[in-house]
Amino acid sequence: MIKYIIKRLLLLIPVLLGVSIIIFAIMRVFSPDPAGIVLGQHATEEKMVEWRAANGLDQPVVTQYVEYMKGVFKGDFGTSYYSKKPVAKEIFSRFPATLELAFCAIIIASVFGMSLGVLSAVKKNSWIDNMSMVLSLVGVSMPIFWLGILLIIFFSGTLGWLPAQGRIETLLRPENVTGFYLIDSLIKGNMESFSSAVRHLVLPSIALAMYSMAIIARMTRSTMLETLSQDYIRTARAKGIVERKVIRKHALSNALIPIVTVIGIQLGSLMGGAVLTETVFAWPGIGKYTVEAIMKSDFPIVQGVVLLVAFIFVMMNLVVDIIYAFLDPRIKYS
Amino acid sequence: MKKKLALVVAPLLALTMLVGCGGNKATTQKGDSTNQAQSADTATAQTGSDVLVFGQGSEPRGLDPAFVDDGESSKVIVNIYEGLLAYAKDSTELEPCLAESWEVSEDGLSYTFKLREGVKFHDGTDFNAEAVKINIDRQLPPLRQEDMPYASFVFADVKDVEVVDTYSVKINLTKKNTAFLANLAMSLAAPIVSPAALEASGGNVNESPVGTGPYKFVEWNPSEDIVLTRNDEYWREPAKTKNIVFKFIPDNSARIVALKNGDVDMIDGIDSTGVAQIEADGNKLYNVAGMNINYMAYNTTRAPFDNVAVRTALTKAINVPELVKALYGDYAELATSILPSFMPGFSEEIKQIAYDAEAAKSELAAAGFNQPIKMIVYNNPRPYNARNKALAESIQSYWSKVGVEVVIEDYDWTTYKDKVIAGDYDVCFYGWIGDNGDPDNFLNLLCDQNAAMNVARLNDETLKEMITEGTSTEKGPERDALYTKAEQYIAELGVWVPISHANSLSAYSPAVQNYSYHPTGNIFFREMYK
Repeated sequence: MIKYIIKRLLLLIPVLLGVSIIIFAIMRVFSPDPAGIVLGQHATEEKMVEWRAANGLDQPVVTQYVEYMKGVFKGDFGTSYYSKKPVAKEIFSRFPATLELAFCAIIIASVFGMSLGVLSAVKKNSWIDNMSMVLSLVGVSMPIFWLGILLIIFFSGTLGWLPAQGRIETLLRPENVTGFYLIDSLIKGNMESFSSAVRHLVLPSIALAMYSMAIIARMTRSTMLETLSQDYIRTARAKGIVERKVIRKHALSNALIPIVTVIGIQLGSLMGGAVLTETVFAWPGIGKYTVEAIMKSDFPIVQGVVLLVAFIFVMMNLVVDIIYAFLDPRIKYS
Repeated sequence: MKKKLALVVAPLLALTMLVGCGGNKATTQKGDSTNQAQSADTATAQTGSDVLVFGQGSEPRGLDPAFVDDGESSKVIVNIYEGLLAYAKDSTELEPCLAESWEVSEDGLSYTFKLREGVKFHDGTDFNAEAVKINIDRQLPPLRQEDMPYASFVFADVKDVEVVDTYSVKINLTKKNTAFLANLAMSLAAPIVSPAALEASGGNVNESPVGTGPYKFVEWNPSEDIVLTRNDEYWREPAKTKNIVFKFIPDNSARIVALKNGDVDMIDGIDSTGVAQIEADGNKLYNVAGMNINYMAYNTTRAPFDNVAVRTALTKAINVPELVKALYGDYAELATSILPSFMPGFSEEIKQIAYDAEAAKSELAAAGFNQPIKMIVYNNPRPYNARNKALAESIQSYWSKVGVEVVIEDYDWTTYKDKVIAGDYDVCFYGWIGDNGDPDNFLNLLCDQNAAMNVARLNDETLKEMITEGTSTEKGPERDALYTKAEQYIAELGVWVPISHANSLSAYSPAVQNYSYHPTGNIFFREMYK
């Protein structure tokens, strides 16, 4: 098992190399020259040349890449062109916000997605099944930013129930311990902060969860249907086991592997979805920050974030594979 | 049992793993000082009042006036720092601020400022002549850094700074430049930073700003907000509201909903689609002419556009007032001159070429004009012009009515600038966002040597002389008259067709008192309360 994990971790290297080359090339080919943006409307050509030289942008792209990767291997991801702060610091100061949102979203997506899927499978072709599949179709098809704006307009604008943006009311922000406002406010026992943080989380989590929930629901439904038609389910029923137990213990447990795969992959892709959700809800995480960095051609930040997201994606896949072994004793890695 | 356990563990395991790794890193994000400030602030929060929240579209670049060039930074900076001079409430007329008075030497090369006594920075240190010298010196060679975007503009002609005594400072220039005074009122580069804070931060106070202004910096939560609190030792009457929060909300509709819900008290960066909603929500709009110009220019290096008769005839065919109303509605004002109305030197007497399609037709025929016009267009929205493609197409249709064919080529802004420098066009569009509210800042571009600025590529000695005379004449009615004369001359040349000045549109809750939004795009909170 350990050997397997090490092997998988080593595989990270070519993946991250590939990702870094692609993002490096994309930023340099498609982004406007950062010198003009950093130096402003009074920049002279001389100053721009000077600035490019100072930031290594006058070198051939391959040299720039090699220099960048040398830094990365030493743990130095460069500094932002704008704030001049180290990329790692910039990203990790915003990362807890993204994680908090992604966790809430994946919990919502998993709980509701799996429940809907199981219900649909059990009550196949009933109105519940049809309704939940329509909901899944909507969830899969609807762009996150549009859903986000609809949620804001309805729940925040029209009904006025929930805040439209941000993580918490500014003056209620809990003292920073973990960076997760829900946890920090509980540690301090400040219920006012906690409830503000929860209220701020609801809409963005739903917007972000919608797509994953739909995918999970559809996957759960189809694997459950397949499992339910297996011989051992018929045997279980023939033995007179209560239907609820048949579904929970015999069917769902065996249907779980593909579902876990999907949940794992979804958690990775939530990081991508967060880019849109965070922008719409002004959620102060890495997604919103990346959008701003792309707009300003802040190459080091964009590269750093993309590498981080790729890393998370690969790690999630690894975690999923490890969970397999727990779920199904027949699976062994060597 | 084992399976049951796995069922619960499966979705959660994935989550907990990441919680572990994220949590550790998060703890390092903020310093202790912000936490202390935070708890102090939380106390006032319980009352729920005494705070004004401003919703802006993006995060400031930094809070050190020497290292930023963006409006979002500027809005925060003007509430923390002050300069030697300041702008009047609703215009770019100059007023004393940290300098009580000043004298200009006879040759116009030395400015001696008498500084206000008894002013303290937020860190308790004294404001004095030494502080002024340190602030300017760090933006002059050899200390100047390449990413101080405004240093070379604001202190362009500064030779050196001398401390005369504790409260007088003399700034020597290399050449006469009256606009220099206006530069000192700017929110970029010019505001005075505490020398002690500069030293403590290694020369860049982007994250730890300390000034003399009505508000003190409390904390900056990345991507989220900036919190300021009142400076009770302010040299004028202290601010009316205790705390100011700047929230960063990128999405326009979300910002409008936040205003409606009372999450924020005021917002800016509003486009035409949001106005009806804001009014329907019972909030108030604040529409003020912006410090910018949007214009069309003829390329005077290409025949027959070097001929004033041809240019005039072509311009006569365009109904600019009608076009501005149709394209921009309430979001821009018709430009009757290059200078916006609130700037010194503006005069209502300046008249641009009036619309007269019939005359245009006959004059074009008389001049023997019969060629298609190559027009280049930028297709991204710019702050001074959100709809350039539509503008170009409108002009195309006006010209087609007088039998002139137009070929439009549109590019993204970056490519467009290269095309402008290459010079292969008959007509192009450009604009300018003012820096210091001085007329020279707008008009000198029109005869700049740099083709990226002077897009009409005009080399006119008379205009150049007029502009130079303006920079060496002392501020006052005489200088204003010079610029009015220059504007009249510009109108007669017919090289530029001034189109519009884009408005700065902001909105606020009716509960907010004394709301105002400065033409420079800044917002001063000292007088505001709710």
